[in-house]
Amino acid sequence: MSEPSATHPGPRLRVRVHRSDPADREHFEVERFEPMTVLDVLLAVQREQDASIGFRFSCRVAMCGTCTVRMDGRTVLACQERIGPEVEALRIDPVAGLPVIRDLLVDTRPFWEEWARITPYLVPVEGLDEPARVPPDARERELIDPSLDCIGCGACWSSCGIADADRDFLGPAALTRAMVLIADSRDAAGEERLAATGAADGVDRCHYIYGCTAACPKGLDPAGAIRRLRSWRLHGRS
Amino acid sequence: MGGVDLDGLATIDTDVAVVGSGGAGLMCALHAAAADAQLDLTVISKGAVGRSGCTRMVQGGYNAVLSPGDSLDLHFQDTLVGGKYLNDQELAWTLVCDAPEVIRELETRVGCFFDRAPDGRIHQKAFAGQQFDRTVHRGDLTGIEIMGRLRDQMFRIGPRELEDVRALDVVFDADGELAGLTVLDTMTGAPALVRARVVVVATGGAATMYRIAAPAREKTGDGVAMCWRAGLELRDMEMMQFHPTGLLAGDSRMTGAVLEEGLRGAGAHLLNASGERYMARYDPEAMERATRDLVARAGYTEIMEGRGTPAGGVLIDISHLGVEEVERRFAGMVARTRQIGQDLARGPVEVSPTAHFHMGGAIIDRDCRTAIAGLLVAGEDAGGVHGGNRLGGNGVAESTVFGARAGDTAAGMARERPLRDPDPGQVAASIARAMGPLEREEGPLPFPITRALKDAMWTGCGVVRDRSGLLEAQARLDELTEQAQQTSVPGAAAANPSWQEALDLVNQLTVARVIVRSALARDESRGAHHRADHPQQDDERWLRFLAARRGPDGDAVLEPRPVAFTRRSPDGQLTEAVP
Repeated sequence: MSEPSATHPGPRLRVRVHRSDPADREHFEVERFEPMTVLDVLLAVQREQDASIGFRFSCRVAMCGTCTVRMDGRTVLACQERIGPEVEALRIDPVAGLPVIRDLLVDTRPFWEEWARITPYLVPVEGLDEPARVPPDARERELIDPSLDCIGCGACWSSCGIADADRDFLGPAALTRAMVLIADSRDAAGEERLAATGAADGVDRCHYIYGCTAACPKGLDPAGAIRRLRSWRLHGRS
Repeated sequence: MGGVDLDGLATIDTDVAVVGSGGAGLMCALHAAAADAQLDLTVISKGAVGRSGCTRMVQGGYNAVLSPGDSLDLHFQDTLVGGKYLNDQELAWTLVCDAPEVIRELETRVGCFFDRAPDGRIHQKAFAGQQFDRTVHRGDLTGIEIMGRLRDQMFRIGPRELEDVRALDVVFDADGELAGLTVLDTMTGAPALVRARVVVVATGGAATMYRIAAPAREKTGDGVAMCWRAGLELRDMEMMQFHPTGLLAGDSRMTGAVLEEGLRGAGAHLLNASGERYMARYDPEAMERATRDLVARAGYTEIMEGRGTPAGGVLIDISHLGVEEVERRFAGMVARTRQIGQDLARGPVEVSPTAHFHMGGAIIDRDCRTAIAGLLVAGEDAGGVHGGNRLGGNGVAESTVFGARAGDTAAGMARERPLRDPDPGQVAASIARAMGPLEREEGPLPFPITRALKDAMWTGCGVVRDRSGLLEAQARLDELTEQAQQTSVPGAAAANPSWQEALDLVNQLTVARVIVRSALARDESRGAHHRADHPQQDDERWLRFLAARRGPDGDAVLEPRPVAFTRRSPDGQLTEAVP
């Protein structure tokens, strides 16, 4: 084992990766480098030790939202989770609440099925032929702006005690998208969406554990969006 | 042939098969559905639909003429000057004319909500190489908004989505008419046949073949390689854009990720290791706002001549705008640098030129038609729009403008073309080639070959090239191509990333060889193609684009063709009335 230095801050990193086939190897040791993310660890394992491990990534800059995993139980984007110098060992598991295809690969369909239920696309109001004039400090923009950059990574889903259990719940991401569209003056389907999010599998399922808001890698606040939806339902949208 | 069981092969029949699910692919699906709601549409995507490829990664934004002070002709001029007059002027003019329409569509139909100016209209920011601030954006992570909303539109129109399915080859019937595609489901490992009246290729480019590269994992030249194998002509293949400001993060995959152009637009300085604003020596007028080719080459020269940082970079510094201002305007970029232990808001960040975008690609007309009836190409897989260098903000404009046009064309074409039965020999050969790495008992893994390819291209066919380096690269690519035919991967067929990398590698090498051949042939410097042994731009001989087609032995046959100055000549004169 080499001495810690600037480029190799410690000994090798011990990694345990969830494998679907019990016959597959799950313990690895990889050479550290700086900076090193969970994605870098997975790539090192794949390239140097076990080419068969199943995981997914695309952009590696937190824009595609496809490399979501759990590191030591916490849901993260593999590309954004930097391995700190104090970390000697880590465990990588698939996200919670979605069926595992193989190793870290999951079937995201349940997440998107819920997403699809809130009519996730703009239903343009009549006469919307030109981009709407909306000042940056308009109320709707203030509501929409901080909730716009959802990348569909499912970190909120994986961190939500309700969504990842086996019961009906639209889930934090779909509800956030619903809030964005309901707030949007260009959209005509707000009432239907508000009704959908107020149904039995909607906002009332949320117990405000705030796992979603804590986990969102884009800094969105799904719990806040859910609270907003609830308030609109009780007190109207004005 | 190779024991491929064609009787048991799953077959999907569709009217329009779209390969790729980035901006071009999904705009194509959207427009085809709008033109004819009865069409059966199939989106084939190697990665997650709408969440792979590079439109998703767009940071800065989208060039479109929206302001009374701007004009289509100004945007057109900027695009031609940026492209060093190598552009197909009809394609460039189409880009410029359609871009405002597509922005309107994205805002009023697709649902994008771009940033607003204080008067409530769409805000447009400054980008390099442009006479007007015309770049539409959503913060500094515009691609999330465009692709998120486009993906959501798919829930409305409901095309068949073949997610995690790789297109292998275009296949033809006994009469040589396009019949569809062979595909491989990467999750199950099962091949299939897609019979289609029309095929649209929109997979994105191949810049991942460089050691330092910006794009998403999927971008391995699959579409261009597929077109090449099908016999289409390619153009401008030597024109590979290096973005001047890619992050340097050691061995991390993060290396090469772009820090967006808006930073230079907003006044960022580029410094060498001794703190000098070196652009003053390369382009004292435009300085950091010169076009990408110039700025990338300047950075590369500083690094190569020993004025770079120890890690082999230069520095970008925008901290003089103040922490709050930088955090507000470039939140995504600040987060990206903090991720690797640096801080854009508080000081200089180390950057290097990074392979970013391929201007070259298949030859198309303004409706995305190619020389093969029924085969359309849109987005980065096509060549000619940008000529020798692409302007920042014209990339996502290209993919959405031409994706939309491909959808319109495909809808009309699908009515006229029957479904055909592909030649079984072609289908079997295509599938056998794909199964090779899995079925071979012995052979190298793809990973070291990929690494060797990236090194060979970076060293021999990078920011600055010369004949001997290119010849070396060419010889190296020949060796690597042999090795790539022999790869063997462990594990099962289902969800096996190493198998997929072996197939990516073959496509990357196919495209790389044409790039190097074209770079050897163009013995001048123009746009992104810079030859140290021929540093001058030679308009006399080289106001020509290089067309490449596959010769009988599989090697590229090149032909220089004159650029048609249908609208503007290189001296800036109008050759046709432009409004």
